[in-house]
Amino acid sequence: MSRQPTIPLIPVSRRGFLGALVAGAGALAVASVASSAITEKPTDTIDMLTPEEALAAYEAEIARLRAARISGTPIDQLERMRTDLLRALTKPVTERRWVMVIDLRACVGCHGCTIACVAENKLPPGVVYRPVIEEEIGRYPNVSRRFIPRPCMQCDNPPCTGVCPVSATFTNEHGVVEVNYEQCIGCRACIAACPYGARTFDFGYTYTANTPSAAMMLGAEQAVSYEQTSTFEYSKVHARRDLHDSPVGNVRKCHFCMHRVLNGQLPACVTTCIGRATFFGDANDPESLVSELIARPNVMRLKEELGTEPRVYYLQ
Amino acid sequence: MLKRLLYIAGILGLLIGLWGLYDRLVYGHMHANYGSYVVWGLWVALYMFFAGVATGSFMLATLDLLFDLPLFRGSGRMALWGALVTLPAGLAAIGLDLGHMSRIWKVYLQPHFGSVMAQLVWGYTIFLGIIIISLWLSFQPQRSRWLKPIMAVGLILAIFLSGGIGALLGVNQNRVSWHVSNLPTQFPVFNLTSGVALMLIAIGWFGPQHDPRRTQQLRVLSLAMIVLLLVKGYYLWSDVSQALYQNSSHGAAAINLVLFGPYGWAFWLLQLGIGMLLPLIILTMPIGKQGFAAGLMGLCILIGLAVARANIIFPALSLPELQGLGEAFHGPHLSFTYSPSLMEWAVTAGIVGAATIGFLVGTDRLPLFTRPTTEATGTAD
Repeated sequence: MSRQPTIPLIPVSRRGFLGALVAGAGALAVASVASSAITEKPTDTIDMLTPEEALAAYEAEIARLRAARISGTPIDQLERMRTDLLRALTKPVTERRWVMVIDLRACVGCHGCTIACVAENKLPPGVVYRPVIEEEIGRYPNVSRRFIPRPCMQCDNPPCTGVCPVSATFTNEHGVVEVNYEQCIGCRACIAACPYGARTFDFGYTYTANTPSAAMMLGAEQAVSYEQTSTFEYSKVHARRDLHDSPVGNVRKCHFCMHRVLNGQLPACVTTCIGRATFFGDANDPESLVSELIARPNVMRLKEELGTEPRVYYLQ
Repeated sequence: MLKRLLYIAGILGLLIGLWGLYDRLVYGHMHANYGSYVVWGLWVALYMFFAGVATGSFMLATLDLLFDLPLFRGSGRMALWGALVTLPAGLAAIGLDLGHMSRIWKVYLQPHFGSVMAQLVWGYTIFLGIIIISLWLSFQPQRSRWLKPIMAVGLILAIFLSGGIGALLGVNQNRVSWHVSNLPTQFPVFNLTSGVALMLIAIGWFGPQHDPRRTQQLRVLSLAMIVLLLVKGYYLWSDVSQALYQNSSHGAAAINLVLFGPYGWAFWLLQLGIGMLLPLIILTMPIGKQGFAAGLMGLCILIGLAVARANIIFPALSLPELQGLGEAFHGPHLSFTYSPSLMEWAVTAGIVGAATIGFLVGTDRLPLFTRPTTEATGTAD
């Protein structure tokens, strides 16, 4: 059993942000070394916060925020969302409803969330969980751009799960559509069924293989080891070492970073959003930030007419 | 001479296919050109084609072995042999398309029967068993009383499996050009057309030259084919005209890709020209009822049907689910354009070559066009 390394929350200031980036890179390096040192099996799972631990962390966070409020220190949305998250973790699993909210007016199209997702889940070339779609509106000289981050919608009525011949993809107890890598036969029927193009197939590419300069590259071995080191998707340990073994040959998708969420951390795409355009939390909690946001009149969901009931909301 | 040419083509295809198979098994799917957006490629189209020929051939076999039509007496084994050769070819194509072939057992031991794909896997397995058993029974010196019930079950299964391919696509409500209620109902017609086309080849090219029924069989098959081609043409017209009527829809975009996209020539030349119009003209003429021409038209129709399968699969997947998705992130296999890779073509050549050789070996080594004399009097045990 391995423990997820703690990844610090990103503060508001630019200096703080840059500092956090460095810290994040350091944490990532530590994580990769630590995880490659352990013996991994696909069935290994990682720890999650117990309700008692979550409650203790929540109370500590509340005390910290209260002190900050008294001293006049501004409280960032991330801090509030983390508090919301810890509060949600004190509740029974069935009483939580995880949703994501994306403010299209706040997204600046930096693709930071895409890259954070790639780093967090160690995604190989050709696999993407959260691309940012760029849309140009109007005609010159009246032109504007809109950026639409597109994670998995974690539909309440997912069209992708019913078509799977071996029940390898299903809605788990957290309400997240999961892919069981050891069960998936790689037929890709779920990709064809997804109305949002939110699933990609792992063809087995690596960033270093067949790269002419890789052999001469300083730290080439570490780069290869990074590509093979484990991810913690679905709170399980998945190494990626063999072209013929999972997750290669599987369909992969965004999972709301549940391995982080269940450890009291926000999804990687949320913490790295410099425009504070992505929000995450428990919609069943009336005090949560996401509950407030999805009650706004400018909220919409993609392709609602299909009846998929997405858990990703957009503010436009 | 014709058979020798086909043998050579089959062996060549098989040799090319061995290289493709090696590449596929060693490098996985890396050298394929289908991807995360156009998820199904040439092999899925090939599977649909061969599975269609197999079910259609079985339907034809019932004319002899279930319904006892005197005209088709003696053709049942040939049709069953065609089904036996083509079904594994189709299953090989779809098997190689899987990310984890070795996990296919999960569909048997841990199936999700709500999935059309799981239903098809089970259905094809039972169907393959039925083909083998019915072929074995048809070779018995005395006609078994089990043959007709098995053929009856097989016929129902053949219709179910034909429609199942349409349903496999049709359940995807996000693909407008697939999600039409009559798609599953079209496939039994397509597959029957495939079966008749194979029988035109089998009887026209390899049928017993001195059998007095051969000319009449070809005449009836040609007439049946004309009717089927007209029905198929009607389906095509309804699909195209309805989609294009609302020119702004997703379905219209898919049809536009078929008609005027980069592979529009394949539709006009192969699917419509060689696959439908030419056979319609030739088969209505007296020359169309002669052995060689009838077989050639059967081959043309099969080529047209293979292209039609590709035209159902590729264009529907070549349209982004969300505008701009194709440009949002770049990487291998993240493209909405598709043309099969050399490895995909090689594997396809191998599968087609193997099926061709299997079919020819059967016509050479097995008494496919004869039946026990006891049957001629209608004797059954």
